[in-house]
Order: sequence, then C-alpha cells, then structure tokens
Amino acid sequence: MGYWKEIVEGGWSLVEGMRVTAKRLVRPVVTVQYPRQTIDMTLAYRGHIELKKFAESGSHRCVACGTCERTCPSHVIKVQGVKAHARSDKVATHYWIDFTRCSLCGLCVEACPTETLKFSREYQLDGETRWDGVIDLIQRLEENRS
Amino acid sequence: MDEQLLEPVRENIYQLNLGPQHPSTHGVLRVLLKLDGEYIVEAEPVIGYGHRGHEKMGENHTYLQFMPNTSRMDYLSGLIYNHGYCLAVEKMCGIEVPERARYIRVICAELNRISSHLLWFGTYVMDLGGFTPFLYCFDDREQILDLLDGVSGSRLTYSYCRFGGVNRDVDDAFVAGARRFIARLRSRWVDYHNLVTKNVIFIHRVRDVGIIDRDLALRFGVTGPNLRAAGVAYDLRKIEPYEVYDRFDFEVPIGGKGDAQDRYHVRLAEMEQSCRIIEQAIEALPAGRFRNEYRYQHVTPPKGDYYLGFESARGATGYYLVSDGSRYPYRCHIRVPSFGNLQVLTEVLKGTMVADAISILGSVDLVIPEIDR
Ligand code: SF4
Ligand code: SF4
Repeated sequence: MGYWKEIVEGGWSLVEGMRVTAKRLVRPVVTVQYPRQTIDMTLAYRGHIELKKFAESGSHRCVACGTCERTCPSHVIKVQGVKAHARSDKVATHYWIDFTRCSLCGLCVEACPTETLKFSREYQLDGETRWDGVIDLIQRLEENRS
Repeated sequence: MDEQLLEPVRENIYQLNLGPQHPSTHGVLRVLLKLDGEYIVEAEPVIGYGHRGHEKMGENHTYLQFMPNTSRMDYLSGLIYNHGYCLAVEKMCGIEVPERARYIRVICAELNRISSHLLWFGTYVMDLGGFTPFLYCFDDREQILDLLDGVSGSRLTYSYCRFGGVNRDVDDAFVAGARRFIARLRSRWVDYHNLVTKNVIFIHRVRDVGIIDRDLALRFGVTGPNLRAAGVAYDLRKIEPYEVYDRFDFEVPIGGKGDAQDRYHVRLAEMEQSCRIIEQAIEALPAGRFRNEYRYQHVTPPKGDYYLGFESARGATGYYLVSDGSRYPYRCHIRVPSFGNLQVLTEVLKGTMVADAISILGSVDLVIPEIDR
C-alpha cells in the first residue's frame, strides 16, 4: 500500500508545486532592469560622508577639530586646517577621506560638534586604483558649488 | 546502515575536500571528508579562512568604535549583534534606554531574524536542488531589507543601535510597512508549504537525515533552532529575557527527534512567532525619545567582567567584555552559536552519505565568518 500511496501523493505534491510556479508566471515582475531603471534611494541611505553646505556662509562649517578623525574606527579621515590670523577661528583647508576603508558606520557624522557632516547619496562608485577612493571633500564641495 | 561498510579498510578510504569554495558551504568552510565509497567515515571541519581578528580589534578600539564590527561577524543577523553589543555596554555602564528605543530595537531585531531565516530557507532549498523557492524568499527578504534600509540607511551591516538608543527614529511609513510585510509573509506561507514543505523530493532529502538528538546537542553546546528541533525549549528571549522580550506573548517552537526536517519546521514556525512579536511591539510602541539626550560616545565602564547573552538567529550568542576602567576593553570575547553548531557535525556526518552531508550542512544554518571572527 505504502509504496503506491507514496507515488500518488508524491506526484501530487509536485503538481501542487508546479501550480505555485505557474501562478507566479502571470504575476507582475518584481525586479527592475538596472541600470536602465533605478530605484530611489531611501532618505536614510548612507553613502560616503560629505560636508554639508550651509546657507548663511555658503560653505561648510568644519573647524578642523579632528573629532571625526579620532572617532573613526578605520582611520578614514585626515583633516587639516589653518587659522587666518592668530585670533581667528580655524577653518579646514583639506578634508581627505579614503573611501575604500570606510565602513559607513556614521560615527563621524554623530561626533562632529558643528554638525557639518552628512552622508552622500553616492552609490555608483568605481575606480581603477585604490587611490581613486581618496577624495578631498572640500574640493568636492567647491566643485559642486560652481 | 550496514556496519561493515564503516570498517576502515585503509586502502579504500580517500579524502575529499568539501569546500572552502563549495557553493553549499555558504562562506569559506572546509570539511575534510574521509570517504569509503559514498559513505563518510570521518568528517573534520577546518575553520579559519575568514579570520579577521574581530576580538583583537575589539581590544584596540574604544567601545563605540567596535560597534560597526559587530554586524560584520554574523552578517545575516547584523542588527541582532548590534543590539546585543549595545545591551552589553549599557549593562556595563548602567545606561538607561528610553522605552521607545527598546521597542524599536525589538521590532528591528525580529525583522532581521525573519530575514535571516528567509535567506536560510531559500539557500537550503537551493542546496537541495530547488532554485525557484530561493527567488521567492529573496523577494520577501527584499521587503525587510527595504524597511531596515529606510530606518538605518544600510541593507546588511546596519550599525543601527547606539548606546542608549538607536541611530534614527522610525516613522509611520516604517510601521505601516512592517504591518504590510507581516500580512504579506503570512499570505505566502501557503505557497511555501505547497512548494517546499509538502514536496516529496524535499521530504526525502530531509526526513531522518542528520539527527542531532537532545543528548548530542547538549554535549556539543548546540543552540538555537538546532537545539529546539531536538525538543529543548531553550531560547534566551524566553528564559533570560533581555530588553523587553518578557512583555510579549510568543511561543518557543520545538521539534521532536532533531532531524533536518524538524529544524526546517522550527525555523518556519519561528518566523511566525517573530511576526507575532513585531505585531505586539508595534501595537505597544510608546512615544518619546528614540535616544538618550546625552550621546554616549567614549564610555569608560567600571572595572570588572561582564557577560551578556542574547538570542541571535542562529542561537545563544554573547559578549564577554573585561573592563580595566579605560576607554578600551581589556578583553573582548564573543560567544558565537555557529561554532557549537559546527562541532556537532563531526559526530553527525559520520556514516552518512555525501549527498546527505550537503543537506545536513545546510540544515544547521552555519555562518562561517562568525565562527572565524
Ligand atoms: S562612516 Fe565610519 S568608517 Fe566612515 S569615515 Fe565615518 S567614522 Fe570612519
Ligand atoms: S568633527 Fe566636524 S568640525 Fe571637527 S574636523 Fe570633523 S568635520 Fe570638521
């Protein structure tokens, strides 16, 4: 008995399975044809970090304090700044990141006392050498501005 | 099985490397098999290919800096690991967490658990030769990743929890999305059962295969769904409730004899229980802060040893942190469930056939990078 019963039941289970697949055949497609179509990034999306541009100064607010540099677990950031004269505030002149090492954790963004860091929406990143991952964010900000 | 077949006749025994590049070892696990014909005489897992030194990194990073590492050990349930780590440090420093943050953490951790089980389900069935269910699972899993991406900004390595809260607040869209997802997942069970659970080929590949019974499981420190499949209702969320798990009504699904089929059923049932937890947590989600006003950056816990255990998707996990009162942990050790789950294979694989070995390896749901750390 068991033998034939198993064949019939087993055979039927395969038919049931095929039915599920057949149903899917006429359902709408759930994938998109990247790169012809793209999906909108979520607002929270974390790309590499970037300096914010503030309306009142038309520039960033980085004072080159180095908090982000010290907080980063992967030593991604290197920031340099100058004081125009002895009494003035320090202003960052260079802000390099090595994106290839960034783990996109966001600790730097939270640590910044002047809140001048944010995540970019960049997701199509490529490069031919590892040095292509090294970006000067201040330069980037200026290029975007012009 | 015929006992005689196992008699080691040295000339007839040959070695076979299963992995480290074998597609069904999911990561870089190598199992050294000694075979007598089709039968396995001895199986020796070789680990260490994915060693990145996370524990040592823990000693050289401040408590906060180590947080991104935690989601990279078990990359399939990264958020649960984040969560556990934050709980451990909060316990060390006595940091209070706002109620809302606790609920958000539970919701996200359970979503992460479902996504991990869904991925296991898909890849396991694919190991056994069924490609179609894999795509359906990924379709479902995609919904979770989108939800978590929306709140945390990342799809796999979330780094979402922070000491004293979470990184971003959840909005109504997330809550609605989670509700929709649960309804959708429940409507999919029928298809999954028709496609896989009742499938005769599947049943024959998993029934009475790779039996890890109660004694064996306890002897080797097997935890998680693998242990529960053997009939032991051991779930840290239930027996040592952390966070707010004691406020939810959920069951711990258990199996009977502990074969691959039981493990399969336990995981499917667990997804349903996770859905229940999420529903209740959403219902009770309090208003308020999602993070403490004071942002804990570089904490200095008081001297001492601390351990915090939590239930990841694969079993009992824990952080053992020793503080010497400085900003860096003196020792950072992580108890990972997959290690115990892997060890037991030396016993279980003995005497089975190579084809069953694939089924057994898949059924215990190993994540190799968390073993190697
Ligand atoms: S996101 Fe993390 S890893 Fe990347 S630069 Fe900031 S702190 Fe460093
Ligand atoms: S923490 Fe902020 S202000 Fe300080 S160096 Fe970094 S970006 Fe500039």
